[in-house]
Amino acid sequence: MIYLNQAATTYPKPQCVLEAHTASLYSGPVGQFRSSSTAKEPDIFEKCRCSLGTLFGIKEWKRIFFSSGATDSANAVIYGLPLSGKNVVITQTEHNSILRPLLNLREQVGSVTIVPCDSDGKVEPADIEAAISEETAAVFVNHCSNVTGMIQDIAGIGKITKKKGVILAVDVSQSAGCIPIEADLWGIDVLIFTGHKSLFGAQGTGGYYIKEGVEFCPYKYGGTGRDSRQLTYEKGDYEFEPGTQNTPGITALNAGAEYILRRGVERIAEKEQNLMKMLYQGLENIPGVRVYGNAMKNRGPVMSFTFSGLQSSDIAYILQNGYHITVRAGLHCAPLIHDAMGTGKYGTVRVSISDMTQEKEIQSILSAMTEISAGGTIA
Amino acid sequence: MKVVDRIESRERCAEAGWYAYDYLLDEQMKPEFIKRLRPLGNFVYLSMLAKPFFKVESDYFLIKGIEGDDFFRAAVHEAHPEVLKVIEEFIEGIV
Repeated sequence: MIYLNQAATTYPKPQCVLEAHTASLYSGPVGQFRSSSTAKEPDIFEKCRCSLGTLFGIKEWKRIFFSSGATDSANAVIYGLPLSGKNVVITQTEHNSILRPLLNLREQVGSVTIVPCDSDGKVEPADIEAAISEETAAVFVNHCSNVTGMIQDIAGIGKITKKKGVILAVDVSQSAGCIPIEADLWGIDVLIFTGHKSLFGAQGTGGYYIKEGVEFCPYKYGGTGRDSRQLTYEKGDYEFEPGTQNTPGITALNAGAEYILRRGVERIAEKEQNLMKMLYQGLENIPGVRVYGNAMKNRGPVMSFTFSGLQSSDIAYILQNGYHITVRAGLHCAPLIHDAMGTGKYGTVRVSISDMTQEKEIQSILSAMTEISAGGTIA
Repeated sequence: MKVVDRIESRERCAEAGWYAYDYLLDEQMKPEFIKRLRPLGNFVYLSMLAKPFFKVESDYFLIKGIEGDDFFRAAVHEAHPEVLKVIEEFIEGIV
């Protein structure tokens, strides 16, 4: 199988991740408050927070909290921030993990303003500035589109949110581990991430960062392993991770983060951008293929195309069953961006890569699409 | 052709209002079988591909598959689940 659906979840994982995950299941429980592990070494939770902090440019890495993924994080963030009766500005590129909590937790949010993107997925910071009103409490931005691979100018947006005094929450689910992130430098107040994509962790892991000083309350309550007699919530971050944590998952996530730190996120980005360039240029030259964006502007490891005469789901079916190439067809859980792309009816074919993707896999999909294009006459 | 089984598709991201199923057959789909599907609706058959693809589409259902496979996918609109039976009867009637 040639797996080019890395934006859904990465496969394969680096060997060190597999080994760490397995080893964790063989090891004794860890955690200062819940068991009697030695206090000499930081436990895996602290190690992982520190690794992620280094990767994301977050000095206060202790304020990175674990969750079951980006959706869980987004729900925690949207529930936990002081958004009641306030306006929230988002972009047209957002994933449903942000859109659905915002639009369904109505009692938590007063109104939502959607800033449009262009057909490649680019959002102008000036348009975000124009959308911020007196009632705006927060701006949510998807760092890298999971449809077109467009990377937004978070540093530019951060200057605006700082000037306007609103919270900047950034969803880095698609960029974490493959695109450099400088959360502190860019003025990010809240960061949402998933663990199982380019961070190479296991599915069911992720987390969020809340900058010190940002008002925030937990949305889940339960055992935390400390202050057991205190039954009602008092201010503090101790209830941001209630319940027994996913130790094997976080161990794997840490192994993934350490792999990326060793390898260098800039080197990963460079490798992926070279493969994406080959993909864009190859597809652009195949008759019938329409590519959305280009390698110069869309710098993330994911791209979209359509094919004249066949629906995106047909192309995905042919690639899967005729060539054993896995891609994804449809709206990719990001419905609004398709209005800008003109692909709302049938969606797109999405091709996405990771650091583990090889050049010959890109050549395989280009060969397959060339064959489909040549043989795609309708009987 | 006999339908051996009908399995609800593992595809979780089907668009709203449509349900997908994978049909397992008792033999591989040959060109003659695929061409017999033409009366069911708009018919597309990309026979020039190394692994030829076909699709039959109507207002309420869609069938697609690859020549040589012993399975195909069918999607039906939620308002017309009865067409599944029509599809099954039609396929089992092809000898």
